[in-house]
Amino acid sequence: MNGVIQNREAFLGKIAHRLERERKTNIKRPEWNYQPQDAVLKNATQEELVEVLKEQCKNIHTDFVLTNSANLPHSLKEVVNGFGGGSVVTWKDERFAQYGLSQLMNEDWPQEGVDLHVWNHTKKEENIEKASHANVGITISDITLAESGTVVLFSSKDKGRTVSFLPATSIIIVPKSSIVPRMTQAARIIREKVKSGELVASCINFITGPSNSADIEMILVIGVHGPIKATYIVVDDI
Amino acid sequence: MKVTLFATCLVDMFQADVGKAVVEVLERLGCEIDFPDSQICCGQPSYNSGYVEETKNAMKKMITTFEHAEYVVSPSGSCAYMFKEYPHVFKGDPVWEPKAKALADRTYEFTEFIVDVLGVEDVGAKLEGKATFHTSCHMTRLLGVKQAPMKLLSHVNGLEFTELPGKERCCGFGGTFSVKMGDISEQMVDEKVCNVEETDANILVGADAGCLMNIGGRIDRKGKSIKVMHIAEVLNSK
Amino acid sequence: MAMKTSEEKFTDRVDKGIHDSFMRSAVSSAQERFQSRRLLAAQELGNWEDWRSHGEEIRQHVLENLDYYLYELSDNVAKRGGHVYFAQTAEEATSYIQNVVEKKKAKKIVKSKSMVTEEIDLNAGLEKMGCEVIETDLGEYILQVDDHDPPSHIVVPALHKNKEQIRDVFKKNQGYTKTEKPEELALHARQKLRHEYLTADIGITGCNFAIAETGSITLVTNEGNADLVAALPKTQITVMGMERLVPTFEEMEVLVSLLTRSAVGQKLTSYITTLTGPREEGDVDGPEEFHLVIVDNGRSDILGGEFQSILQCIRCAACVNACPVYRQVGGHSYGSIYSGPVGAVLSPLLGGYDDYKELPYASTLCGACTEACPVKIPLHELLHKHRQVIVEKEGRAPISEKILMKAFGLGASSPALYSIGSKMASPAMSLITQGNKISKGPGPLKTWTESREFPAPNKYRFRDWFNNRSKGEEQ
Repeated sequence: MNGVIQNREAFLGKIAHRLERERKTNIKRPEWNYQPQDAVLKNATQEELVEVLKEQCKNIHTDFVLTNSANLPHSLKEVVNGFGGGSVVTWKDERFAQYGLSQLMNEDWPQEGVDLHVWNHTKKEENIEKASHANVGITISDITLAESGTVVLFSSKDKGRTVSFLPATSIIIVPKSSIVPRMTQAARIIREKVKSGELVASCINFITGPSNSADIEMILVIGVHGPIKATYIVVDDI
Repeated sequence: MKVTLFATCLVDMFQADVGKAVVEVLERLGCEIDFPDSQICCGQPSYNSGYVEETKNAMKKMITTFEHAEYVVSPSGSCAYMFKEYPHVFKGDPVWEPKAKALADRTYEFTEFIVDVLGVEDVGAKLEGKATFHTSCHMTRLLGVKQAPMKLLSHVNGLEFTELPGKERCCGFGGTFSVKMGDISEQMVDEKVCNVEETDANILVGADAGCLMNIGGRIDRKGKSIKVMHIAEVLNSK
Repeated sequence: MAMKTSEEKFTDRVDKGIHDSFMRSAVSSAQERFQSRRLLAAQELGNWEDWRSHGEEIRQHVLENLDYYLYELSDNVAKRGGHVYFAQTAEEATSYIQNVVEKKKAKKIVKSKSMVTEEIDLNAGLEKMGCEVIETDLGEYILQVDDHDPPSHIVVPALHKNKEQIRDVFKKNQGYTKTEKPEELALHARQKLRHEYLTADIGITGCNFAIAETGSITLVTNEGNADLVAALPKTQITVMGMERLVPTFEEMEVLVSLLTRSAVGQKLTSYITTLTGPREEGDVDGPEEFHLVIVDNGRSDILGGEFQSILQCIRCAACVNACPVYRQVGGHSYGSIYSGPVGAVLSPLLGGYDDYKELPYASTLCGACTEACPVKIPLHELLHKHRQVIVEKEGRAPISEKILMKAFGLGASSPALYSIGSKMASPAMSLITQGNKISKGPGPLKTWTESREFPAPNKYRFRDWFNNRSKGEEQ
C-alpha cells in the first residue's frame, strides 16, 4: 500500500520560486564531467582483488581467512570455535548447502552442543531474541568491495538484518566471485537491478569490519553497539 | 626586462629594507625596476572587512597605476593575490573588469617571478644560519605559489633549512582579524612562535610582510633571539 | 538542543574556550589526527581533485534541480509504503513527529545522531510529551547523560570531554563503578543501550543521503547504532535536511566515499546502510511503519542566493578539522550546533545575524577550510560575503570601524592623502615609539600590542629611498 505524502506542492513550489523558474517535472540524467571512481583498481584480476581485500582487512581490524570449498566447513568450524563457540545464528540461505555446509550445520554442530538458530521468519520475534543472545552471526556476502574491505548484504525475510548486528561476533563468508574493486561496482549492480524493475532490498548493509568508535578522546574502541569481532572467510573457488 | 614594483603599503611604511632588497635582487638578475609613485594599497584591509563598495576606488587607483606595466611584481603573496581578485570584484563592469583582468594576468609574487618568469633558482646569495620558512596562507592556497620560495632558499649558500611543524597553519594575522579578534589571534601566533622554536632555527623566513610583522612582533615581545627576515632580504645576503 | 547552544556573548564564549586547556589540547591533537588521516585517504586515490570536482558537480546538480529530485524521492518512498511529510519549519516537523508518537502511544524513543533533529530541537518537543528520548551515538549519549551538554564538533560531539570527565558523568548519573578506560566506558554504554534498542517504541534517525531513484535513505556510522535504531523499533522516523539527497545509488556511492574519507580518513566507515521503505512482507526486523520528514527550516531562503553553495555541504567536518581558529577556541565558542567554518557560514543563515553576526569574522580568511572541503564549497569566500552583507546590506558594522574604513578608503585611493599620512606616521608615532617598536599602541593598535610589538613606521619610506636613489642619492 502506498504511503501518504503531505505538504509536497507548497514545499516544492517554494523551491522552484527561489530558483526563479517553473517547477521541474522532467530532467535528463546528467553526463558528469568527472568519473574518478573508475580509475580505482582498474583492470585488477580477481587474484589481485583478493590480495587487496586481505591487506585492507588489517586496517579494519578484521581477520581474513582464505580457504576453498572443500575446506570451508573446517575453516568455519575453526573460526566459530575461535570465537568461543556457543550459540550461532545464520540466515536461512540455500547457499550454505551449496557451499557444502549442511553436514556441519545440521549434524556436527548439534552433536557438539553448538546451538544453531537458522533465521525463520514464521517464528517472528524469536529470531531477534536468539540473535541478541547469540555469540556468533554468520552471513554471506552478496557483493564484496576489495578497496575498502566491505561486505554487502541484502536483506530479505530469510536474511534478517540483525544477524550481522546483534550477535557478539560476526563471520561473513565471502565467495571470491563476489569481489569487485570498490563500491562503484556495487552501486552499479544495484542500479541495474532497479532499472530492470527489481525492487531494491529494504535494507542493504555495507559492512566494513566490526563496530567501533573513537568518540572518547579519539581513542579507538572496537565493538560498540554491533559485533566486537569480525572474520571474513574468503572461498577461493566459489 | 622591465619590472614594475608593487611594494605594498606595509613595506613602504614599515619595512623599507624589504623593498630595498627586492630592488637589489631583481636588478642583479638584470631587471630594470620601475616604481609608480601613485601606488598605495591593494585595499585588502577594508575589502576583507566587508567594505567592498568602499574599496573599489582604491582598487581602481591601483589598476590605473599599473595599467602600462609589463610585469607587476610584489613581495607579498597576499597583496599579489588581491590583484588577482580584482576581476571578480568588477565582474560585469564593462570598463573595469577587462582592465582588472589585464592587471591580474600580469601580476606575480616576487619568488614566483624569479623562478617561473626569470627561470632562476640560484640568485647567488650567501647566508650562514639555520632557517625555517613560514608558508603564508594566501600565497600558497589562493595564489598557489608553493615551490618557488623553497627552490630559491635551497640554493642559498650556508643556509641550513629545517621544516616548520604545522607550516600550513595560519599565523593569526588575517589583516584586521589581528585586532578585531585580538585574543584568538594571540593564541594563533603564540602557537606559531612555539612551532618556530621547536625547529631550533635562528632565522624565520617568510614571503609576506603582514605575517612576518605578526610573528616577528610576538617573537620580539617574548624576547626570543630569532631573526625574522623577508625572503628578499635572505636572497640579497652576500 | 536547539541550534543555539548558549546565551553567553561571543567574546565570553571565546574567552572560556581559550582558557579551557584540556579542550584545546584535545582539539589540536584531534585536528592533527583527522587532518593527516584525511590527507592520506585523499592521497591514496591519486586523483583527489577529480573526486572533489565530481562531488561538487553532483551537489550542484541536485541543488539546481532540488524540486525534481524531492518529488521523485517522495514518490518512491510512498510507493514502498513509507509516509513523507514536507516540513517548512521546525515547528511543523516537530508537531508531525509528535503526532506519530501520539498515535503510536510511544513512550521510549531511541535516536541515532542527527544534526537536523538538533537544529529543530526535536528532543525537547518529545520530552515535553513525556517521552524518554535516548541518543545512541556514543558521543551524543555521553553528552545527554551529562545533562545535555552541547556538542562541540559535528562528527565527534564530545571531543571537549576527557575520559575522566566521562567516567565521572557515568558515575554521578548512572552509578558507573568501573575505570576511565575507553573500552570500559564504551562497554557500559553498550550494555545500557542494548536494552533500550530492544524496548524502544520508535527509532529516529537522521539521513546522510537520500536516494531519489529508489526512495532510499543512507545512514553512515562506525558504531552500528543507526542500524539498530532502524531495525528494532516498530516505527522508524527519519528526519532529513531537504538538500541531503542524490539522484541514484551511483552518486550516493561517490558522496559516501568523499564523506568517510574527509570525515574520518576511512575508505568507508564500518556501517553504511541504505533503507528503503518499511520492512517487506515477511520480514521480521526493520520497522513496520516508516516516516520520512523532509525539513526546510530556512534552507530554501539560501537557495538561489549568493550563499547557495553552502547547501552542498555533506557534514564531514573536514573544514572544522582544518580551521586554525576552531583549533584555539573550540566548538562551544560558535554558540551553535554547527561549529567551525561551516558553522560560521550556516549559523547566521539559519539562525540570523542577531545571534551569529560575529562568526563570519572569526576567520583569518586563510582558506584552509576551502582547501579541505570535499565538495569544493568556497567557505572563506562565503565568510567574506557575510561580512559584506553585514556591512553593506545590514549596516551592522560598528561606527568606529566605519569611520576607520572610510578613512582607509580615502587614504588608499588618494596619493596626496596617502603621502601626507604615511609621511606623518613616523613623527606622529614617535611619542609612543621606543627604539624601533611600539609596545603600547592606541586605538586599534591596542589589541595588537597587548600581545605583540608593532613596528615603528619607517622614518624614510621605501618610496623615498627609491626616488632619491633614482636621482642618484643612495641612502
